[in-house]
Parts: sequence; C-alpha cells; structure tokens
Amino acid sequence: MNEIWGPDSATIIWHWPIALYLFLAGLSSGAMMKALSVEWMNKNKKAPWDAFVRAGVLLAPFSIIIGLIILIFDLTKPLNFYQLLITYNLKSVMSLGVLLLLFYTPLSLAYAIIRFRSTLEQSFLGGIVRNFGALLDFLERNSLWFGRLVFAIAGGVGVYTGFLLSAIQTLPLYNSPILPILFLASGLSSGIAACICFGLIFFEKEVSKDTTKYLLTMDLRVIPIESLLLFALFVGLYFQGGEKAVAAITSLTSGTWAGIFWICVVGFSVVVPSVIALTALKNHAYKVNFILLNSLSIMIGVFALRMYILYAGQIYLGT
Amino acid sequence: MKYAMIHDMEKCIGCQGCTIACRSENAIPDGYFRLKVKMDGPHGEFPNLNFNYVRHSCEMCEHTPCVTVCPTHASFMDENGIVDINANLCVGCLYCVVACPYNARYVNPKTNVPDKCNFCKHTHLKQYGEPACVAVCPTDALIFGDLDDPLSPIFSYLANKPFVTNKPHLGTKPKLFVVPNKKGGIKL
Ligand code: SF4
Ligand code: SF4
Repeated sequence: MNEIWGPDSATIIWHWPIALYLFLAGLSSGAMMKALSVEWMNKNKKAPWDAFVRAGVLLAPFSIIIGLIILIFDLTKPLNFYQLLITYNLKSVMSLGVLLLLFYTPLSLAYAIIRFRSTLEQSFLGGIVRNFGALLDFLERNSLWFGRLVFAIAGGVGVYTGFLLSAIQTLPLYNSPILPILFLASGLSSGIAACICFGLIFFEKEVSKDTTKYLLTMDLRVIPIESLLLFALFVGLYFQGGEKAVAAITSLTSGTWAGIFWICVVGFSVVVPSVIALTALKNHAYKVNFILLNSLSIMIGVFALRMYILYAGQIYLGT
Repeated sequence: MKYAMIHDMEKCIGCQGCTIACRSENAIPDGYFRLKVKMDGPHGEFPNLNFNYVRHSCEMCEHTPCVTVCPTHASFMDENGIVDINANLCVGCLYCVVACPYNARYVNPKTNVPDKCNFCKHTHLKQYGEPACVAVCPTDALIFGDLDDPLSPIFSYLANKPFVTNKPHLGTKPKLFVVPNKKGGIKL
C-alpha cells in the first residue's frame, strides 16, 4: 500500500566510503603507533632500519591521505570542502578531527621523509628534499620528541573516529562510550597487520625474525582485548534496556548484517587468527605464508567491523 | 523572539492539507518531505476505532544535536529560534542528517544540501507571519506563536491543554509541542 504521506526515505545516510575512511584512518594511526614503538623498542638506536618501521612510517601517511581523498569526494559538496578548514565548531567531533588531521597528516609525512631521507635524496625528488635540509636536520635531532608528539596525535586520530560515531545519540549502536576504545584497539591491530604484510612483501630482505615474532604476539594480544570490547559493547547496550537492548539483540541475530558480524567480524578478526596462532605459529615458527594469511584475515575483519558498525548502526534502531 | 508550534492531535483529522501546502510553498522535490503527517492506527475495538495523526517535521529543538555536530556552523539557530542551514557553508558531510533524532532532514537532490522545515522562514512566514501549514489547517490543529511573548496564542493554549514533546529523554527540548489524543488505551 502507498501511504498517503508518500514513501519513507531510505534510512542509510552514510555509505561504504565512510567505512573505508574509518578503516584507513584507523590503519594509519595503528601503523604509526606501531612503527614508533618498534623503533623505541630497538635499544641500540643505531639501526632502526627495520622492515616494519619502514613499512609503518610509509603506510601511515599514505593511508590517511587516501582516506581523506575518499572522504572529500564522498561529501555531497566536495568543492566546498575548504569550509572545513576555515570554519571550526569546537563542539563538533568532526571539526576536532579536522584539526587533528591538519597536524597528523603533514607530521606523519615528515616522519616518513626523515626515515627515508637518504633514499629520497638520491631520487628525482632529491632537490626538493635538500631544500628542506635544515628543517629535516632539526626534526632528526629531536626525533625522539618528534616521535612522541606524532604518537600522541596518532592516538588521537585512532579514537576520534570512534567519537565521531558515538556522538550520535539516536543510533544505539553508535552511541556507546566503548566505541572509541574499540576503534582504537582494532585500528591498532589492523595497523600492525598491515605493517607485517607490507614489510614482508616489500622489505623482505630486511625482515628480522625477532621483530616479526614481537609484532605477531603484539597483534595476537590485541585480539582478546578487541573481543572483550565487542562483548562489552553489546552487553552494555543490553543492560541499558529498552530500545538499546532491542537494537543489540536484533543487530546480532537478524538480517544480513548479523551474518556479516559473525562471519566477517568475529570469523576473520578473532577465530581465524586464533586458529592460525594455535596451530601453524605455535612455536613461533617463521612461516611466511601463514603470517601473511593471518595479517590479511585481521585486516578484512577490521574493515568488516567498520562496515558492520556503520550500517547496522543506521539500520537497527531498536524500534 | 522564539518561534514555537503546537500540533493538537485531538483536532488533527489527517487531511494532509499542511503537507501539500508545505510542498508547494517551499518547492519540495518529488519524493522528499519537510513535513509528513503519518496515520497511526486504527486503535481500539470496533466500533470505537480511532487514528492518531502524527506530525513529522523539524521540531526546532532548543538543544540541537544537528547544530552541535555540524563542523562548519552551516547548521545554526537564528535569532528567532529557528534552526536553519546556510548552504554556502555546508560541505555535505551529512553529519546533521544522521544526528537528528527526529529524522527531520533530507538531502535536496538539486542543491546537495540538507533541507528541512524552517517555519517557512523565507516564504510564508516572511509574507504573512505564519508558516504555510498553519495557514491552511482547516481545524486549527496547528498553532504558531512566540514563546517570548506572553500574549501569543501559544501561551493560553499550552496553559489549558496537557501537552508532551517527542523523545524527551534525549534532552533536545523541542519547540514543537504535541497535544496528545486522549482516545485510545494503555499501550505496553
Ligand atoms: S528536529 Fe532535527 S533538524 Fe530539527 S532542530 Fe531538532 S535535531 Fe535539528
Ligand atoms: S551536511 Fe552541511 S549542515 Fe549538515 S552537518 Fe554537514 S556541513 Fe553541517
């Protein structure tokens, strides 16, 4: 029957490009934080030229830049995007995010440049890089403090994507204080996974067994934390009762998105990595293919989590 | 000035006069709405059946989620308490559309900017001092007025009728007041 007031408009307002952006921003922040911690972990600071640090510092600026390009083209008025840069509403999480990214993007790029300086200076970009020599020297001399600053801002980027959604009161799945922490944790795990993948594929010669082991255990440790946060998210909603409880139950039990949650989110980011860890990597044996498979699975799972929260949040309102 | 509106569900007969007036006054593209009056029912047992007619439009919240989330101040509240959109500042992030608890905003396909009821600010209100929906309502189920003016008709109306607001638990303090239909029973 056609209702006399006309068709109700579609409920999905934010589509997959937003999920892709949330994924890339999380990955960027995770990769940066991970690269820095590997660098700091390396006690004899002489040779931080480890495959994973390189992979991390490269991934961080690239994924955030790609993410931002996607985000801008997804605006309904992309040509107006400069308004985001000249007008700020400090009550809006989105504005705070823009401010963070305004620092994070160039700083993460600068960090990548100082870590790849010698390579860059020999490339066709050599002239440009040499022009900034003094600035790069300064950053390099203070690279510990510079790194700490970038680490803190990267953490901010990791949580803000969660706050962006959790600020929306009416959508039960978004409006949870767990979400920013969940996004930070899963961003970290996707960042680590991406570093492992990227490092193994592109900087194979420099890969050190120790770091691989360290990263893998780090990533496997994030998984129980992530699972606990997911559990807390839904149990939290359930105990709030009313619409929120209904939304929590339906989003886990009915429709396509419930299937995606169990198969893609839980399956790829919890079950598969756990199985691989308990079998193939049991003695921390160095099996490249399984490590790659493991990282790939985690990345798919983390992307699926963004998609799931984004869509299920707009669909399951508990009413 | 602080404009406000009352929708008296006891008087509303669901004739859709207001929705049509809104469409023509504000040139709303086909398939989109600033204002809907949805039928809810029938309730009760035959022969004592009745319908509720529920207004869906911007509620002109006092504490506006849509304005809070907007990164560029494109969504704002004007000096008369009307929540409005400045298309020049809007980037189309649609944060406001997602954040509005009353589903009051749609994206205008011609301008790519969110649009919603603004009490006919630039059209009927400017010319005749009241929104088009209020002007056409045959049963006077819509009452429009100024909350800063004790002589406004809205005052005596609210003084004499029980009224509610939608989703009060969200703390948005809508300036659309609803006089509920007394018919119907307890709903669990
Ligand atoms: S009803 Fe929606 S659009 Fe209108 S003021 Fe409230 S939050 Fe904003
Ligand atoms: S879509 Fe426009 S009005 Fe709405 S929050 Fe974004 S910038 Fe503000």
